[in-house]
Amino acid sequence: MRMSNRAGLIAALVLLVLLILTPQIAPLLHLAISVCTEVLLFAIAAMAVNLLIGYTGVLPFGNAAFFGLGAYGAGLTIQFWHVKFFSSIGLGVLAALIGAFLIGPFLLRRRGIYFSLLFIAFGQVFYFLAYRFTDITGGEDGMNFARPVIEGTSFSPPDGSFYYMMLGFFVLIGILFWLLVRSPFGRSLIAIKENETRARYLGLDTDRFIFVALLISAAIEGLAGACYGLSIMFADPLQLDWHQSGNFVLMTILGGSGTIFGPFIGSLIFVIGSDILSSAIPWWQIPLGALFVVCVLGFPKGILGTILDALEKRRGGFGYEARDTLHGTVASEREIQP
Amino acid sequence: MSDVIFQAENIVKHFGGVHAVEDVSLSVIAGSIQAIIGPNGAGKSTLFNALSGFYKCDSGKVTFKGVDITTAPIHRRIAMGMGRTFQTSSIFPNLSVYDNLLIGLQSAANLAFRFRPVDATQHKTIEEKAERLLDFVNLKASAHRPVAELAHGSQRLCEIAMSLSTDPVLVMLDEPMAGLAHAETTRVVEVIRKLHSELGLTVLFVEHNMRVVLSLAQRIMVLDRGRVLAEGTPAEISANEAVRDAYIGKEVIESV
Repeated sequence: MRMSNRAGLIAALVLLVLLILTPQIAPLLHLAISVCTEVLLFAIAAMAVNLLIGYTGVLPFGNAAFFGLGAYGAGLTIQFWHVKFFSSIGLGVLAALIGAFLIGPFLLRRRGIYFSLLFIAFGQVFYFLAYRFTDITGGEDGMNFARPVIEGTSFSPPDGSFYYMMLGFFVLIGILFWLLVRSPFGRSLIAIKENETRARYLGLDTDRFIFVALLISAAIEGLAGACYGLSIMFADPLQLDWHQSGNFVLMTILGGSGTIFGPFIGSLIFVIGSDILSSAIPWWQIPLGALFVVCVLGFPKGILGTILDALEKRRGGFGYEARDTLHGTVASEREIQP
Repeated sequence: MSDVIFQAENIVKHFGGVHAVEDVSLSVIAGSIQAIIGPNGAGKSTLFNALSGFYKCDSGKVTFKGVDITTAPIHRRIAMGMGRTFQTSSIFPNLSVYDNLLIGLQSAANLAFRFRPVDATQHKTIEEKAERLLDFVNLKASAHRPVAELAHGSQRLCEIAMSLSTDPVLVMLDEPMAGLAHAETTRVVEVIRKLHSELGLTVLFVEHNMRVVLSLAQRIMVLDRGRVLAEGTPAEISANEAVRDAYIGKEVIESV
């Protein structure tokens, strides 16, 4: 096993222990457990975004559509069909997948900035649907629903156990993500990100690859959205909105796109940062925006990307992105090209 | 002997009012090296892009191995055995040379869409093939360096090796000598010669460097303002008055 792999594994285990202890640590830091749950769920959503930004090279500026579809998918099926805990999450994922299946073919007609603009436009369609159909969705006010009981029990997890279930999802998605970006399919995605024309001339039907990446991303984001809905027992149009998409993109780039843990770091800073700042100052979004500007201008590889790069160079490597993908991939964060 | 592997008939490509390629036909004999030359703006690159599926032809017909591929998507052309390089090296800059080859090798082995890791035997086959390609272009020493850090000539050789990774029978090279220093040119010419002599591939290339064209090509087509000006062996082209007047320049031909 290569040293970098072992270091990554140790870092992952330390992180896991910290996350397991979080419900004990959080009260000492005056953090509500629901905020910690939010960090995990936004980290999952940012991982979904990272698959597209960091490993496929497309900018998903409407990605929250899938997050919101997950939340509404869970909320509406609980409200109208009285489905139980895991079924509602599954149906949320399904809703996001159907959404991606419907808009994907339109998005794939363009690349670069046009892809992003189309993504915003199609994403907003879902926003307006949720906003308009007041009878079903509650419109602007959103919809409240109760957290249902788990299948086969009469147990509806309270916030404390809910946190651990979400931690389970986070670990599961993290491992699957790690396996995915190391698979031949993941390498093909990285090739598409690096140079799509070349990837085509090596025989890859790149539309098909990007479409499947979009579906996987939507499913992960739908999972995050459905769980978020269950977490706050609420769904509203803002969860589908392009501002929310922007937040997930921000977390990804801030933490380090093209790295496994970057989205988590981004989510941690974003959620905790806005939680602390918003209670202290009314204009709390300004410092967060400034941080993003500094990040993009000063260290475009994000926090984790910059650290990994420095470590790799100290060892005499060529930067973390140059590592052979066969032995362990971390794709690079290059400038996003129009 | 004249076994035509690739044929273009009456290709037309306009960009707005610009008639970049106007009714060009061309046949490539299997196992030959053929060149397309012409002054700047003659439509060489446009023709090349139209033939390789990068652009859609406005009209005309392209046949490869007897199959009409005029509207075939690029990945199908590659699967049929076409490979190409670009005027500015088209590579995966942040990946190592080895990984650059790996992408094409796993694509050729139908593993590109696989979610599980490749198994040991497949891995071994791919690694052996990568070794052979690295040997072929003499880049073994740089195998694990990111391509972006290599010299221009090595990047070009890496790109040629990549285009070979998908087992092509026809290799199309778009100005392989563009931007290369003299010493690098010699290396690349050697590799192109080997494509033909060692691997028995059919090579179609666009080139500006007349010395290279006259020494490598068996047949040459001259384009001028989107049309075919002349076609023939290097000797015939060198002797052609119209071609001389159009652009070649007397000294070059006499010195070869």
